Formats: sequence, C-alpha cells, structure tokens
Amino acid sequence: MSDHPRPTRLSRLLARCYPRELREEYADEMARFIDDARRDSRNAGNPFGAFGVAATLTRDALVSLAASMRHDAPRPLRSRTSDVLLVKTFRSFSMEAFLQDIKYALRGFARRPAFTAVALITLALGIGGNSAVFTLINAVLLQSLPYPNPDQLVYIRGANETSKQHLVSAPDLLDLRARNRTFQDIGIARTQSVNLTGGDRPDRVIGNFVSASALALLGATTVLGRTFTEEETRIGAGEQVVVLSYATWQARYGGRADIIGQKLMLNGRPHTVIGVTVASFQDPTPSDLWLPISSAPSRGWFDRNSPTVFGVGRLKPGFTVADGQKDLAAIMAQLAAEYHGGNLKETVAVSDMRESMVGGARFTLMVLFGAVVAVLLIACVNIANLQLVRASTRQREMSIRAAMGANRTRLVAQTLVESLMLAVAGGVLGVIIGQFGIKFLVRVMPGNVPILGALEPDSRVLAFSFALALLTGVLFGAPAAFSGTRTNLQGALRMRTDTTSTGRFNVRNVLVISELALCVVLLAVAGLFTRSMQSLQRIETGFNAEQVLTAEFRLPAVKYDDNLKIRQFMRTALERLRAAPGVVSAAYVGAVPLSGNYDNVPYLAQGQTDIAPDKAPRSLFTTISNQYFRTMQIPVLAGRDFQADDVMGSEPVAIVNKIFADKAWPGETAVGKTVRLQLQPALTVRIVGVVGAIKQYTLTEETQPQLYASHEQNIGIFTSVVMRTAGDPNAMSRALHDAIWSVDRDQPIWKVRSLQSLVDRDLSSTRVSVSIISAFALLALLLGTIGVYGVMSFAVQLRSREMGIRMALGARTTQVLSLIMRSGLEVVTIALIIGVAGAMAAGKFVQSRLYNIGPSDPATMLGVPLLLGAVALLACWLPARRAARVDPAVTLRGE
Amino acid sequence: MSKKSPESLLPLTPAVLHILLVLADGERHGYAIAQEVEAMSDGQVRMGPGTLYGSILRMTDSDLLEEVTGRPKADGDERRRYYRLTPFGRQVLTLELARLTAVMNVARRKQLLGAPLAEGTA
Repeated sequence: MSDHPRPTRLSRLLARCYPRELREEYADEMARFIDDARRDSRNAGNPFGAFGVAATLTRDALVSLAASMRHDAPRPLRSRTSDVLLVKTFRSFSMEAFLQDIKYALRGFARRPAFTAVALITLALGIGGNSAVFTLINAVLLQSLPYPNPDQLVYIRGANETSKQHLVSAPDLLDLRARNRTFQDIGIARTQSVNLTGGDRPDRVIGNFVSASALALLGATTVLGRTFTEEETRIGAGEQVVVLSYATWQARYGGRADIIGQKLMLNGRPHTVIGVTVASFQDPTPSDLWLPISSAPSRGWFDRNSPTVFGVGRLKPGFTVADGQKDLAAIMAQLAAEYHGGNLKETVAVSDMRESMVGGARFTLMVLFGAVVAVLLIACVNIANLQLVRASTRQREMSIRAAMGANRTRLVAQTLVESLMLAVAGGVLGVIIGQFGIKFLVRVMPGNVPILGALEPDSRVLAFSFALALLTGVLFGAPAAFSGTRTNLQGALRMRTDTTSTGRFNVRNVLVISELALCVVLLAVAGLFTRSMQSLQRIETGFNAEQVLTAEFRLPAVKYDDNLKIRQFMRTALERLRAAPGVVSAAYVGAVPLSGNYDNVPYLAQGQTDIAPDKAPRSLFTTISNQYFRTMQIPVLAGRDFQADDVMGSEPVAIVNKIFADKAWPGETAVGKTVRLQLQPALTVRIVGVVGAIKQYTLTEETQPQLYASHEQNIGIFTSVVMRTAGDPNAMSRALHDAIWSVDRDQPIWKVRSLQSLVDRDLSSTRVSVSIISAFALLALLLGTIGVYGVMSFAVQLRSREMGIRMALGARTTQVLSLIMRSGLEVVTIALIIGVAGAMAAGKFVQSRLYNIGPSDPATMLGVPLLLGAVALLACWLPARRAARVDPAVTLRGE
Repeated sequence: MSKKSPESLLPLTPAVLHILLVLADGERHGYAIAQEVEAMSDGQVRMGPGTLYGSILRMTDSDLLEEVTGRPKADGDERRRYYRLTPFGRQVLTLELARLTAVMNVARRKQLLGAPLAEGTA
C-alpha cells in the first residue's frame, strides 16, 4: 500500500511525540500510519485536510501521553476512568490521583464557565488588592532603610515637656558628639532651600547643611570625587564646597564628568563641586545637594541659644535607642548647667530613624490593609457559598463514589484541589492586577506616606500573594469540601436533595452571618470617615482662600548683608506687586496659613507676673506687612492694621487674634496693652489691633493665640507673599515673578501656589482615605448583597417541597412568605448585632483620625445596619416571593 | 503475561471493543484497522496512532491479539505488521457482546429503544 519503502521524515518526527513505551515497539508502524493518514486526506481533496490530521494527531498524542502517565503495569483493558462507569478505588495520595483530580477540576471549570469566570475575577481582584497594598506596606514598613546597619540609625531632635519634634542647636550637638559613650558617631543636618544662580534664570534647590559625620554615618559613597572631610565642615572654619546628588548631577549638569572642580553660586557664594553621590544613595530628608554646615545661611545657626538643626546618629553595636536617649539626656543636663545656669528645660529625644520616618504612615496603611483583607474575606465567603450550592447538587455523585468505595479523604482532597487551582490561578492574575493597583495607589496616596524601598514585587510580596492564594483556596474550599462530602448514602441515593440541614447554624448561615458582619464593619468605618470628612469641610478657616496666590522667597544673605538693603528690596518689590494689573491687594507674611510654616514665641502679657521662658505661655508668632488682613479677608475686630509709620525706630507694635486677647486680658480691652516677647533679645510690643482667629498650621487644630508682629520692624531675608487677584490666581504667577525680578533678576521665587490649593491639600489625605475606604465598603456591600441573595435563593429552593406541601394544605401566600422572611430576618439580625459590635471596636481603632466624630457615632452605628438590613432583607424577599408564588402542584410533581 | 479469566477484562473500552470486532473478520495491519473502525462506526470512533497502538500493545500483553509471523507477501509490503485474534480474544469478545446484549435486552423490555425518548424522564 505504501508507496515509500520508509515513512517520510515528518511522519517519523511526529511519531516521536508519542510515549516511549509505544515508540519502542511501534515507531515505524506509527510513522507509516501517519503517512497513510496524510496521503488519504490529500487524496480526499479536502484543502483543510492537513488541519484535520494535525488536530487528530495532537489530541491523540496528548491522550496517549496522559494514559501513559496514569498507567502502571500491568495495563488492564477495561475502562479505568469514567468511560464506562465511575468505577475507581481511590487510594490515599498518589501522583496519579492528584493528576486525575486536576483533570476533573479542569473539566469541571470548562463545564461551568460562568462560575469559573466570576470566581476567578473575584479572586483576582481580591488577591490583587491585597498584593498591591502589601507591596506598599513592604516598601514602606518592611524593607529596611537603604543604609548599612540601618537599625543603628537614629534621629536626635530637640525636646521639652510639650514637644519632641523641634530643632537643637549645633553647638549642643557637637558637645553630644564629643561626650557620648553610646554612639559611633553623631552628625548635624538641616535642609533648607538654597538659591542657585549663575544659570539661565535664578533657581532654588533643596540643600542639606551637614557635618562630614552625617554623610559618613549614613554610608554615603560617590560616583565622582568624594564627600566632605571633617575640616571642610568645621564650624567657624570650613570650605565653600558642595556635593551633588546623582539626580541633580544628571538633571542639571547632564552627568558631565568635568563637573568636579566647577564653581556653583549657592546663596550668592561660589561653592566648588567636590563629589557626586551614587545613584542609590538617598538622603532621609530628600535633598538636591549637600553643603558644609559651616556654609549655613546665617551665623545664628552656630549660636547655642538658637535651635536650628537636628542630629542624625549611629548607635554603637549592642546599644538601644533607650540607652542612647539616657546617655544624651544626661549630657544635655550637664550642658544646661554649664551654659544656662541649670534652668533650661530643653533636652533631646532620640528616635529610631525608620520609625520616625514611617510611623505616621503605618496607621493609614493598616486601615487600608484591613479594608482589603475584609473585602477578600467577603469574596471568599461568596465563592464558598457558590461551592456549597454546587456541592449539594453533587451530593448524589459523591454518594455514588463513596458507595463504590471512595474514601472521604479522597473526596475532600478532590474538592480542595479544585478550590486551590482556582485560588492559585486567581493569585497569579491577582499579582498582575496588583502591579497596576500599586501604581494607582501610589498616585492617590497622601504625600505623607514615605516610600523607602522599591515598589517591585520582591520575593516577600510574591510569597505573601502565594500564601494568601493558598489560604484563600482553603478558606473558600473547606466548607464545601467537608460539608459537601459528608455523604448520607441512603438519603442521597433515594434521590432526595432536601436533606441539607435547615437549622439556624448550618454552614451557609454562618458564612452569611460573617459576611454581613464584615460588611457592617467596613461600611461603618467608611461612614465614620465620611462623617469626619463632612465636619472637616465645614471647618471655618477664618480667612477667604479664594483668589489668593502665594509664594516664598529668601534673599541671599551675602548680597543683602544689611537690613537697609533688605528693607529697600522688600519695599520696592511690594510696591511693584501692588501695582501689577489684576492685583487687588498684596502683603508679606512670614508663614502662609496651612503652608506648613509657623513659628511660636513664649510671651508675657502686661499684668502677668514674671515667669521663666520655658514656663511662659506660647503664642503663634507671625510677621506681616500691612494689608495682610485685607488680602486674606481676616476681620479686624478692634484697633487698626499696621501703618506706614510703624517703622524701625518707632514704637514696636503688634496685633493679636481674639484668642490671644481673651486669654491674656479676659474682659478687658487689648488695644493699648503691652506684651513682652521672650525672644533673643526680649522685645516689648504694644498691641494696636485685634483680629479674628484663623487656622494657621492645620485645619483640625484648635485655634490658638496668635501674635502678628510688623514685618517692617522685624525685617528678615525670608518671607512669603500673599496676593489677592481679580481673576484666576494661578494665571497671575507670571506677574508675580515679573514684579520681583524687576527689582532683582537673580532672585528665585518658589512654592507659587494658590491659597485654595493649600486648604485642599490639608484635606486631601483624609479625602483619599475616605474615598479608598468607601470604595472598598461599597464593593463589600455589593458582594455581601449577592451573597445573601444567593444563599436565600438556594435555601428557598431547598424548601420548595415543604412550601408546596404547606400551600397544598392551605397555607396562604403571605404565610409562606413570612415563614421564609422570618428565617432570613433571624440570620440578618444576628449578623447586624455582631457587625455593630465589630464596628464599635473598629471605630475605637480609627478614633484618633476622626474629626469631631465619636468612635460610636450614633448616626453611623444606626444608619449602617439599617441600610444593610434593608438591602439584605430585599435580597431575602425576592427569592421568598418567588417561592410563595409557585403552584404547589408544580413543586410537588417536580419531586 | 499470565492468563486471566475473560470476565476480569470486562467491560472493554470502546477502542478495544472495536478493534476486536474488526479483527473478527481476519488479519489486518494497523492503519487498516483504524480505517475500518471509523467506517464501521460511521465516523464516530476515530483512532489516532497512539490510541490504536496503545490498545494493540495492551491487547497483545493480555493475549487478546497476536502478531502474524511468516505471512506470505500478499500485497508486496512485507514491512507492515499484521494482527489477528487469539482464541482467548475471541472468547472475550463473545462475552462482552453477551454482556451488551443483556443490557440491550433490558433496554428493550423497558421500551427505551425504537420509540422516541420521552421528554423529561431522566
């Protein structure tokens, strides 16, 4: 028959795809078979014949391979699988059985594409959300800081009875460095904006003024040049040198190698570039470049009485933060005795570097994590329910298998394999989705979440996601695996499907209860945050933020080396600003409200007895030019604004807010009184006006006493501008630059932004938390409703026979309806009670982040269960009504 | 292979049953068996080389078939391997057909054949 003495090469190649046992015996025969089949299909004249042959061969080869994997010698002829009957004796675990479970599961998925798709999507979203949030948590909280031995790194900050966050003085830090016994080294650091001139246009960069030890103890290394020597940063001596960050070098100087030795004009003085740090080096306080502390913008930085810097330290091995704290506090007490006669209560606070960087973000991340875990749990419960429903429809199949000798372990294993496969597939999809999720999260996350590590899914993230997938699979698979295989042989074989327990605490009800309870918790937390957000939005700032543009600038101290020059610049610039078209009014202010800048001062009001500065009450202290109140539309309640004749040399004047006036002189007139400000040196000012209180630092703060001093009388090189505009403030940015540059074209201006954006920024972190948590809560509500509906539908279906009998015996539709609703109501009520208890606990946890809302806010704690109860009852009512409407004859015949 | 009781091999897989049926008519080589099975079952049972030779291997092991040796060159292709039933194979086929007949008889008694299947009876 064959035209060829030997089969063609292609056929021989194809024959090689078959299992070895067949090839050994029949290689040539099979190749000939394939040859014949190809020839016949060609002769049949079917143009697609080749595809048919290919398809047949592929399928055939796969079947043979599968068969050869299953078979153990001797190979019987009778059907081993379900071809003829489900005759199969299951053994305890074997690879064969496992592969078969996988095959069954795949077949099962193919048979139920809708279920499989829904389950996969739900799981992928649930695990994806968790994976994304965990990636973020990993990067922020788990990965160690990118420095050698990061556990030894600490911050050293100023502290007293009321604050542990303020600055310390550089001389104190130097003494701490010299006298301590617990630190390997201590360094000085302080970031501040630096004017960079000499380029196309004046610019501002973030400089970190450091001691050589600060960079050394962080382990900074360079790609070019070197970092500072001790001599270069020595206070009182020092060199005018600068180290650039890798990013600055790349962005501003194109990565040119000849940058070393070049001179940059920083704050008006030439600094020689001596090094560029490696790309991976990141300052804990983001900085563009590092300058020696000796190049500080003001001599005041070297004064023991002016806290202007903070410290970074590396503990010696074996010493804890507490050891360091004790050591340094003792030295601070010595210093107070030596320099302040022992009556200065200032000390230092030593804090773990990582903790002080990320501590604030932990809460947000934990709330977020709680929300995604809850959503995943709810999703698990839903899939578990679907599996349970399916398990009960497979009760007969399971019973038959059990009757044929399958032991329960095998049946449980098979059901679990199915769930685990779903979960792992969902997990893989989830990790992929999570990578998109993380990008989204980072974009919307409040800016106060410091991301220290890499946002890539490292082995920890992958391990977490995989473990989560497995856990998820067991969680949603277990109820079906264990209750579904608890076979009742006789009952099941009698073709009765209504044998499932109908008690209150069957598996399904427990699942629904936990699902609804979780929903209540999530919705309640979302509700609390939403209510908190509403009260935040109702906060009166005390000023009108609309149509105000703000900006900051700092004059270089080298160029403006006396107050005359500074005053000259300030006056001219303000005149030009006010004269610019479209400007309604303009003023200087030391600290724009909600910009993050603020200053305070201990004071002694007229009529108070003398108190030491560290015991004196403190007030916010803000220097302003005249027309500040007009520009901000802060009401002047008594007295007057600053005037043109409040100048240097005339009596120092001040304006206080109403809180200050009421606190210092309750029931008296404030205007005309004097206040002694405990500055260095002390300054006595006369109050000329009283104004309304505003939110200076955050929206959520209690309004505090605030004292405004005259900008003219307290001239300085740093100031901010506020400018009320006729139109869109953002469109006036150019006019602002032009006005300043017309006075000095080398002067950089930064943080040009509308006042409204500052108000929005203050709300944004809360707003983001609220929207993320609300989104999760709504998802939970949706999943929960679907869950209740599914379970009730199924329960009703199971009881349709009972309902049929009841109705046949004369029960009215409403009676049947109420019977079903009652059982639904029971489940929902239990769930709501548990849920509210959980919600109260969760409320306590988030209490610190709520504004003007109690953790058990009645509106939330009543509203949420009512809403959820209504939705859940609707989900019960729909299937109940369907059950009550059916013709009893149909139901009974159906059996 | 030790000889088993013919009953222990029942029921047969469709592939095994069809191969036995074809070979009941006489010796065949592999591709001819596959083609005849396909024709006999109106294209319902199509066997690829793996299914065919996998079955042949197991059937030879169980002594249902044997390869024909010293066969005269009937069609000038001595390289092809021909197979035929053993007496044991014929016995197994008879038993399987008897079993199937019994099943058919039950079905007939229940009037499941001939008349169209009643709807909704599962």
